[in-house]
Amino acid sequence: MREPSTGQLLLLGVSIALFVIGGALSLARLRVQRGWMRQGARLCLLLGLLAAAATLVWHSLSRGSWLPIEDNFDAFIWLAILLTVFVIYVGRVRPLPGLDWFIMPAVVLLLIFAGLFGKGRPHEYVESTWHWSHRVSAYGGAVAFAVAAAVGAMYLIVNRRLRSKNASPGPDLGSLERLEHLTRASVTLGFALLTIGLVTGLVRALHRSTTLGTHWFTSPKVILACAVWIVYALVLHAPINPSFRGRKAAILSIVGFLLMLGSMVAAQFMKEGTN
Amino acid sequence: MQRLFLLGLNHTTAPLEVREKLAFNPQEQQRALEAFRERFPECEALLLSTCNRAELYTARPVHGHPRVEEMIDFLADFRGVSRDSFQSYLYQKSERDVVEHLFAVASSLDSMVLGETQILGQVREAYELASTTRSTGGLLNPLFQKALAVGKEILASTPLAEGRISIASVAVTYARRIFENFSDKTVLTIGAGKMAQLVLRHFADLKPGKLLVCNRDAGKADALAGACNGISVDFARLVDHLTAADVVVTSTGSAHPIITRAMFDGILKARRYRPVFLIDIALPRDVEAGVGELQSVYLYNLDDLQQVVAETHANRQDSTVEARRIVAGHVAQFAMWHRAREMGPVIDELSQRYHSLAREELQRTLGKLPDISETERSHLEDLTRRIVNKLLHDPIKRLREADGLHQPVSQYVHALEKLFALDAPSGAALPSQASVDSERSDRKEQSPGPSTEA
Repeated sequence: MREPSTGQLLLLGVSIALFVIGGALSLARLRVQRGWMRQGARLCLLLGLLAAAATLVWHSLSRGSWLPIEDNFDAFIWLAILLTVFVIYVGRVRPLPGLDWFIMPAVVLLLIFAGLFGKGRPHEYVESTWHWSHRVSAYGGAVAFAVAAAVGAMYLIVNRRLRSKNASPGPDLGSLERLEHLTRASVTLGFALLTIGLVTGLVRALHRSTTLGTHWFTSPKVILACAVWIVYALVLHAPINPSFRGRKAAILSIVGFLLMLGSMVAAQFMKEGTN
Repeated sequence: MQRLFLLGLNHTTAPLEVREKLAFNPQEQQRALEAFRERFPECEALLLSTCNRAELYTARPVHGHPRVEEMIDFLADFRGVSRDSFQSYLYQKSERDVVEHLFAVASSLDSMVLGETQILGQVREAYELASTTRSTGGLLNPLFQKALAVGKEILASTPLAEGRISIASVAVTYARRIFENFSDKTVLTIGAGKMAQLVLRHFADLKPGKLLVCNRDAGKADALAGACNGISVDFARLVDHLTAADVVVTSTGSAHPIITRAMFDGILKARRYRPVFLIDIALPRDVEAGVGELQSVYLYNLDDLQQVVAETHANRQDSTVEARRIVAGHVAQFAMWHRAREMGPVIDELSQRYHSLAREELQRTLGKLPDISETERSHLEDLTRRIVNKLLHDPIKRLREADGLHQPVSQYVHALEKLFALDAPSGAALPSQASVDSERSDRKEQSPGPSTEA
């Protein structure tokens, strides 16, 4: 296990810069429509993704291990890469205008976190299959919830514009129907992964393989994770109680993601070796 | 001599809630015109009632009726509303301003949506209805015929109508912001008017799963459904149709809302809060405003849609320059025609009256000169004619140069008619020789100074 080198951090910085430039170009299209801006934004996104992936490869080579989420540095970059791949995938398969405006800031933040926390506090994560499953499902769930929150925010904006009957329909962020569908799909996936994460975490806690101690159920991380689970369960029960669809589901998706971020921060800063 | 007058309100002066109070359907328009003519038989009248405006055009004798207050009272009485509820939103125009305004209206320059062609048809219908009711006459007939010609010319020859977007296309744009896929959606139209047909045609292009047409008149519903590959449905089962529909276009002629909040509360639960897009293009509105506050309901009325259209057209103001130039030219032409029409008879009457008087006086003089030769007689006749012509030259010139559609001139002409008794029957107005002589003798008696006569 090794801390990221200065060169890796610099490459990470290049990736962040490319994502920021790409995002700025994409946002600038709200005011000025130029063909090169669209292409420039797309190119920056791809180059940023390549730079982030190169950082990950370099870091794995230097520490002699290819396990993806052995430390914070890896984990955050992986999350950022997955979110970027999702944006690129949607853009190619069935474009959702403006999706990058909402997801790429989260990507940039994740990469910044990787630079900050990855250097300071490397951790040995993978010690058992349960632990491995717990980390992978939790991070996978985080990606899905990040997408749900971003799309939920888009839903709220479109909904607000439609309700306020703005003279100008504004930038196209996709239809409410598609945004709602995407939110529900992301939450469903995230909820499944989170549930796996909670179960595996529970198994670890019961086997005393965490440093949460005997009162693990009072840990902020566990309480927040359960709160996240309940919030997303509410979102998913919309088919049973339809008044929870639409705007309420979008708000809950954002609230759930914020709680999940709190849970992740709690996990990062709790004084424990393995969590 | 008649005065043109206009009293009205439109989308720029009055909100939808006020406009719907003065909205007239064709039957009401006809009844209103008949009632108006009954109350003011000397006055020509035309009522233009569209979604965006209600305007009463009149042509009345200069000092005749109705006056503004009487027109407001008439509208309030006829609609059964308090005059305070709309009076502050009214505008009034007279003479040339009326002509200018009407030409701008007919050519869509005064519309919320620049370049829209519907207004021209609405002006035509209003005119035809007024003609049928025989409430138009010597002034409103040519005025509206000219307005229709001007509107047609502008919409055909200027860039005003190019690239315009319609309310229907805006409605579709908003529907696309709500729904992604229309193949599993149901579009319901309530009412089978022209606007509904237009919007429905746009929605039919989206190829929705079902297209329902619901109207009180089943025959009309069948016809529209047939034209759009839709299904005609029973109006009595409106609630069921609303429960099934995802997009609802409503444009009935109902005086009261047909979709209330209380009604839609139940419908929303039955449809499990599925989003619904309600497009209310009726005036008065078909859907209570409160319905739009409900969850998953997106309610757009005429003003909401038109606002979007108007915003889109805001950057097309340059295209109005040419149209306004054409309007100004036609207003000047109409003013000239009107001047000739109004002043021609007055000028003719004045001229004939004084030439006749001069000839009469000449005959009296010639009667006292039995030995006068033909040449001398001819010279005297020329002399009197020239004197009369010279005396009348300046006033007639001033009258001809004046703009017949400006208020001071119409009053001036009226004064002229009164002063010179031109409005009286010809025989009665002409001073008889006896009365002239008698007046002369009176003057002689009353005159404090020495007589000027020989």
